[in-house]
Amino acid sequence: MAHETPHLSGAPFLQAETKGLYEPKGFPSLAESAERSTKNNLEIIAGIPAWQQWREAANRIKAHAIANLDKLLVQFERKITARDATVLYAEDAEQANRHVLEIAREHQVRSVVKAKSMVSEELELNDVLASAGIRAVETDLGEYLVQLAGQRPIHIVTPALHMSASDCGKLFAEKLQEPYTAEHRKLTDIARRHLREDFLTADMGISGVNFGIADTGTICIVENEGNGGLSTSAPRVHVALMGIEKVIPRIDYLPQFLNLLARSGTGQKLTTYTHLVHGSTPGRKLYVIILDNGRTNVLADPAARMALYCIRCGACLNACPVYRRTAGWAYGWVYPGPIGAVLTPHLVGIDQAGTLPFASSLCAACSEICPVKIDLAHQLVHLRHRAVNEPSPMNSWTERLMWRAFAWMMAGPRRYRMAMFGVRVGVRLARFLPWHPGKLGAWTRGRELPELPHREPFRTWWRRNGAALKPAQPPSTLRLPRE
Amino acid sequence: MNSRDAILSRIRTHLAGEPPVEAPPVPEVWPRENPGIDQMARRFTDELSAISGEVVRCGSTEEARGKLRELIEEGGWAKVGAMDRPLCRELCRELAGESAAEKIAWAEPGWTPRDMAGLEAGLVEAEYLLADTGTALVACGRPEERLLCYLPPVCIVAATAKRLVEHMPAVWPEVARRAADPELRGEFLLITGPSRTADIEKILILGVHGPKQLVVLVVG
Repeated sequence: MAHETPHLSGAPFLQAETKGLYEPKGFPSLAESAERSTKNNLEIIAGIPAWQQWREAANRIKAHAIANLDKLLVQFERKITARDATVLYAEDAEQANRHVLEIAREHQVRSVVKAKSMVSEELELNDVLASAGIRAVETDLGEYLVQLAGQRPIHIVTPALHMSASDCGKLFAEKLQEPYTAEHRKLTDIARRHLREDFLTADMGISGVNFGIADTGTICIVENEGNGGLSTSAPRVHVALMGIEKVIPRIDYLPQFLNLLARSGTGQKLTTYTHLVHGSTPGRKLYVIILDNGRTNVLADPAARMALYCIRCGACLNACPVYRRTAGWAYGWVYPGPIGAVLTPHLVGIDQAGTLPFASSLCAACSEICPVKIDLAHQLVHLRHRAVNEPSPMNSWTERLMWRAFAWMMAGPRRYRMAMFGVRVGVRLARFLPWHPGKLGAWTRGRELPELPHREPFRTWWRRNGAALKPAQPPSTLRLPRE
Repeated sequence: MNSRDAILSRIRTHLAGEPPVEAPPVPEVWPRENPGIDQMARRFTDELSAISGEVVRCGSTEEARGKLRELIEEGGWAKVGAMDRPLCRELCRELAGESAAEKIAWAEPGWTPRDMAGLEAGLVEAEYLLADTGTALVACGRPEERLLCYLPPVCIVAATAKRLVEHMPAVWPEVARRAADPELRGEFLLITGPSRTADIEKILILGVHGPKQLVVLVVG
């Protein structure tokens, strides 16, 4: 794979990585495994009678948390500071990176091990650390693979979902000078061997946070590989990166989320390791960096707040027919799939990512599967509304002109007939045109023009037969609209 | 204005004038059925075996000690790190005088990850065993105790059968009570099976960075 695109370009959906739309075999293994995950999710859900109550409960807890976000953040900060942690706030990626670099300087950090953190992807932290001369290694196997390949994660839970075992074997042969193998066991052992040394020598560990618990000052991190535990306890300094929306009010609420997250994320009853870290462990320093980076924009739009309930399980990605075909890079930023199409326009601005909410068939599979009951389909519609009314790529004069012309054409029978005639001629002619003009090309490249039926249009048929089919007297209860 | 105040004031501005959202009741998640210890031990064994963990139910401390000795001998381990807890002490105490006893190294403050790299197994004590998920809850106060759970290739968890509870919601009031203590440090770790990954083609492989083998000794 030759997608050397480690830098975030700001969500140019339908412009960059959309070959999956045009080539049915774009990401076949990804599509299959996403479909399998969804099937698995649905089976699990069917086995839990209280599933809908769970979703409802989680949704209400999150609604409560977001409505009290300022108070909860202050409480979380106070409680975890009392447990010898240092809390820092960052308004944007640049500030967060500055905090990390300052901590690294203070503790003479030369090497960093990273557990999986989507927030760190927002920060493009690895590049920032590298340019400061600090070696940062991703330790989650999937993240390690995409880092070695110079790529970005294609999925928020399984970052290397697009790579086959043989891709991984070639990558290890090229980058780590290991003998080629396509055996999963051996590939995993190679990663274990190489990363082991990094765990033993790293000066700093960086992780994300799944839940920040306000009433006890605890951070909860879930993972399966053990790299999260090693990254947060082996180095002398642990930096936890947390989005402001990750805070929940009480530790009592946590079991509900742990039960939902594991089942929706990976189909497990519980993830292999659930870490409840109560402040800094004696002999270690803990820093928590609380990041806004556009999240308060979501708060500003009351109809959109639900987007902040997300617990990053990735179920909506797997369920989405568009994601299955295009895969993660098409969404141009950190969060792909339906939740990406909803979050990204808020986080980077609708003017940048206004096309994303349109990358959906609105089938609502995402809304159905979401464990915290985010109504993603309606969120997408809401953002479409905003995208055509606010400055965005969907609100250009050409778009406006096109839709105005369309509305005019549909508003009168003669105009409509003319337009339909135009379509029939157009479709017949188009097949002789060997090119895909401009914006229209994004549509035509991926699709075959439909065959026109070789029979008369319905309108002509109706003119001939309609009179005979009309009831002699309209039923008295039914009022037909006037012509 | 510093970044903290800027963020908090933005949040307050955006939330201003909104009606309050009441705190919802704590969800039940799973109903309480209060099964007996044997029933929970069976469930625990079934659940953990299903995810490739091993459970050995030992009738007595003596039997558990024998099992531990057997594991050490079969594994041919030269060094086993152990968490300094009553049950671990109890299990290792009577290994004294035998070759197995010399192989136990008690976790000490100041152990570096490098010091621990040579450990072939870690012996830790669980505070609770959650039957319905096959989960062991281990309270680790210090970094070397945390590392004992992830660093060695084999993790042995010991707990008395009295520590079995039916599920997470059943043990949570106790977890919440202890977590509320401001003096508490370190980590509560929930271990559910050996370390695993499915990052390559979604094929499950055990033992990626953490232990490849997890053995739980249920005593009593």
